[in-house]
Amino acid sequence: MRIIDFHAHLDDRWLHKAIPPAAEMIAALDRFGVEAACVYTIMGFYGDCPRHNDALLERTEAYPDRLIPFVTVDPKEGQAAVDELERCLAFPQFRGVKFHPWLQAFASSMLQETTVALLKVAARHRAPVLYHDGTPPYSTTFQIADVARWVPEATVVLGHAGSADYTDPAAQLIRDLPNLYGCFCGSRPGDLLHLVATGGADKILFGSDFDPGCWEILAERIDNTTEAGLSPDDLDKVLYRNTERLLRPVTSKVPGGAA
Amino acid sequence: MAEPSVIDAHAMLGRETYLQLDADELLRRMDAAGVETAVARPMGAGLVVDHVEGNNLVLKAGSRIRGLVTANPWWGAKALDELARCRDLGAVGLFLDPSRQGFFPTEEVAEPVFERAAEYGWPVMVRTGAYIYADVLALAAVAKKFPATVFIAGFGGYADMWFELPVAIRATPNLILDASMIWGAAVRDVVNEHGPSRVLFGGAEPRNRYAVNLKMIDRLGLDESARRAILHDNARRIYGI
Repeated sequence: MRIIDFHAHLDDRWLHKAIPPAAEMIAALDRFGVEAACVYTIMGFYGDCPRHNDALLERTEAYPDRLIPFVTVDPKEGQAAVDELERCLAFPQFRGVKFHPWLQAFASSMLQETTVALLKVAARHRAPVLYHDGTPPYSTTFQIADVARWVPEATVVLGHAGSADYTDPAAQLIRDLPNLYGCFCGSRPGDLLHLVATGGADKILFGSDFDPGCWEILAERIDNTTEAGLSPDDLDKVLYRNTERLLRPVTSKVPGGAA
Repeated sequence: MAEPSVIDAHAMLGRETYLQLDADELLRRMDAAGVETAVARPMGAGLVVDHVEGNNLVLKAGSRIRGLVTANPWWGAKALDELARCRDLGAVGLFLDPSRQGFFPTEEVAEPVFERAAEYGWPVMVRTGAYIYADVLALAAVAKKFPATVFIAGFGGYADMWFELPVAIRATPNLILDASMIWGAAVRDVVNEHGPSRVLFGGAEPRNRYAVNLKMIDRLGLDESARRAILHDNARRIYGI
């Protein structure tokens, strides 16, 4: 069973709570047989994205085959956010983009022009864009689906595939919008069966939301997936193949032209 | 020491959107997981509008499934009549879902059903987690008003109100966590701060699976008495079973 975690967090703290270093994340991945994890900031959602993007890149650089950093920018910054996204996606290590409208305090509908510009940049770089979803007032599943409608060439991922209360709308929207996917991250086996049956096994990706300070969540989220009773082929798609297909391809290009 | 027999404090019977479970299938899953007794409440139409059918489903499911019944407060006097009928059929508690049933826990319309539960000595489980109607803190406010009644935070604030639980439980001695949908780290926080007596094991079948939650409890690394409390003794005490 091969596993890539599409949704994890790596930072030095969350609010007042310190988070262990990347080595402990690697230990947790090893313990549960996870080949790699896509990692996002936490404190970067609260401000100063450029500094946090640089820090995330630095934290992952010792584990290039295991930790896949996603860039975060603040759409409220307008063109500066677009420029920051371009800057970060010039680094091939960044293989996706993460937004958390709830924590970042924006509704995409308020920032449609910037949102479209950002998603077009991501699409040009073939980087999937994951949005936290399932939480009013800024991150409802319907709000994120609208973003996918605005830029059909972008790959948009519902970060929690509906979370607690939006599972059924998420499943329908994933089915109906070709560029909308769902990260099964936090909801439960009964939800996964519905997401796969309605949205399609090719459009659901496993994620844990764990950070190095809470390895149990990784274990629980794997259990949520394996206990659903999916067919072996569908399970393989959800745990591994879909993420492998969706991630921005690895290239040798880096800023400054170095190999 | 022998493994404690397990009581599932929160299962669901009926059909709701994409979830479906009948008593036979629940019993099969209980047997597979080593669960002795399940406390089940109706879901779907039985929860929202057709209480007689929904409550009958959980009250007539056999001796190993005990009924956590519901009555929409907007039913008024009919709700109280339905609760009386359910008491006579052996119900062990009241379940409410403010988001699905359309009321605020603190709203005047809900007061008679809370009073009736208190009169019967029933615990009251209220689905928590979605903002507004299912606000954990709204439930805590009601619990403070009925200090002799045990209130159970159904689903434990899952997903995005989990962080309110430690404070709500600290401030509300009669508030208990239903651990059927919430993750282990949140359960551990409550156990560490308030003790194992404040946590109920639940399976949340058919949305969740026993295997997932039993492994979650295992990973907490609890001592034997704490484990027994969460898996068995608390439910036995609170539901009177």
